[in-house]
Amino acid sequence: MREKKFFVLPRYSLLRRLTLLIVLTLFILQLFRVKVLVGGLSGSLLISWIKLLDPFAYLESLLASKNFNLQTLWAVLPVLLIYFIFGRSFCGWICPMDLLFGLLDRLKVPYRFSIAQRISSSLGFLVFFSFLGLSFFFSLPLFTNYFSHLTNFFRAITGIYFFLFDLPVDLSLLVYSLSLILFLLIMELILPRFWCRILCPVGKFYGLLNKVSLLHLRYKEGECFHCRLCDRQCYMGVNVSQNVGKGKLRSQDCIYCGNCVEACETKGKIVKFKIGV
Amino acid sequence: MKRRDFLKISALGLLSTGILKINPDLALSLSFRKKEEFEPPLSHIPIEGIIRPPGALPEREFRAKCISCGVCVNVCHTMKYDALAVVGLRDLKNFGTPYVKDMRDFPCGLCMECPKHCPTGALQPLPKERVAMGQALIDFSLCFGWNGDVCLSCSKACPLGAFVFDFYNSEWGNQPYINEKCVGCGLCVKYCPLGGSAVKVIKKETYKRIREEYDAQFQRLLNLSMEERYLVVYNENLPKIMARGRILEREYR
Repeated sequence: MREKKFFVLPRYSLLRRLTLLIVLTLFILQLFRVKVLVGGLSGSLLISWIKLLDPFAYLESLLASKNFNLQTLWAVLPVLLIYFIFGRSFCGWICPMDLLFGLLDRLKVPYRFSIAQRISSSLGFLVFFSFLGLSFFFSLPLFTNYFSHLTNFFRAITGIYFFLFDLPVDLSLLVYSLSLILFLLIMELILPRFWCRILCPVGKFYGLLNKVSLLHLRYKEGECFHCRLCDRQCYMGVNVSQNVGKGKLRSQDCIYCGNCVEACETKGKIVKFKIGV
Repeated sequence: MKRRDFLKISALGLLSTGILKINPDLALSLSFRKKEEFEPPLSHIPIEGIIRPPGALPEREFRAKCISCGVCVNVCHTMKYDALAVVGLRDLKNFGTPYVKDMRDFPCGLCMECPKHCPTGALQPLPKERVAMGQALIDFSLCFGWNGDVCLSCSKACPLGAFVFDFYNSEWGNQPYINEKCVGCGLCVKYCPLGGSAVKVIKKETYKRIREEYDAQFQRLLNLSMEERYLVVYNENLPKIMARGRILEREYR
């Protein structure tokens, strides 16, 4: 006999957009002097007590300054703990670029080349380690300070607000941040998810956590019809259907967006999220 | 024109006028009218570098540690000081790091919240007295206190008060002097009633270099006789001060 569910979670796509909007709202509230979440996604302050620091930014800062201090480690540990539980869900659930990219994906563009889904995402580690090396060489956190989508996104928001209300802001910085975000959006139109899958080193770090995280994809054996709907829906290029025999999936590209679970013909009975070992 | 287009255009117009209302500087720059500007005090002494937030590590280490997360800028905003801004493309080496941009309007309040909350350790928490953002210098040729007035605005604004200020009172006014214990928060710069302020904040390193020259000028003024001082005040300094007064006063927020 089948178990009866007492409550049914809303669809994953709805849930993760809601999470993203809540986080963004908390960040925007800081401009109106509400101190719940202060800073940006590369480093922030929760309820003016818990410091949070992006692990890749931490690595860069550590290599650039070449000295270790405990104060900074305390800022990374809560983040590492969160993503030890949830894996790479940062990319699908919290990253603001995912929302913007998702909106752009709905547009019908004649020239789109899904190259990123065909080449190996391990190529991204080339970018990952070269940024770490360059940070060490120049003694500057190069990616986080100059090219990071997270830093520039929040800089742009703060910059626009400060500019409108005549507070001190450097205009060239605002223009730079906005044009970088625009560049990423244009890249998304031509090469869908090239940034997320290959280039972005922040996501690469969380991808490594995917191998040990408590949250992962589980399969129920024996009922799969091999319709490959899940593969088609996955924009990160994970081979969901090919791993059905193995029981679970620990791909470093999976961002737990839940598209495969929703797309599955059996309505989430074969592919599902599972927290546990 | 369709009704929808008309509505769109009118909404855009309303929005833009709203933005110009909020930001008068933008309206000024759009109308090509030149903004009234004062020559900075002590124009022969350069700042040499940028003024960092309180508790910053030495420049090289600071640049290596700071990841431009924006916590300090936003904490400063929530504390209602709005002193910090982020360096733009003009200075590529310091790109993305925080600095105190405009001390005349937005000085640091020394609330010491940003070093407490910095997640990278680029800003280290420390007591107010040991902060070394910079050094404030008074332009003796512009200061009211040095030219026959009783003003005291800078010393009243200073969060450290008599710890930093020395007074040399005479018949020429209550002459304030800022000693080397100054932390460089810039509150005196904002609250100086002179148009364009008579106080300037420079880096501590620059101060070490120019200190002898500056102190020599200070000692010379103290040792002048009545007649010589009269000539200096009435012939050189007061015309300069009056000229600044004639320029439209900068509005203080």
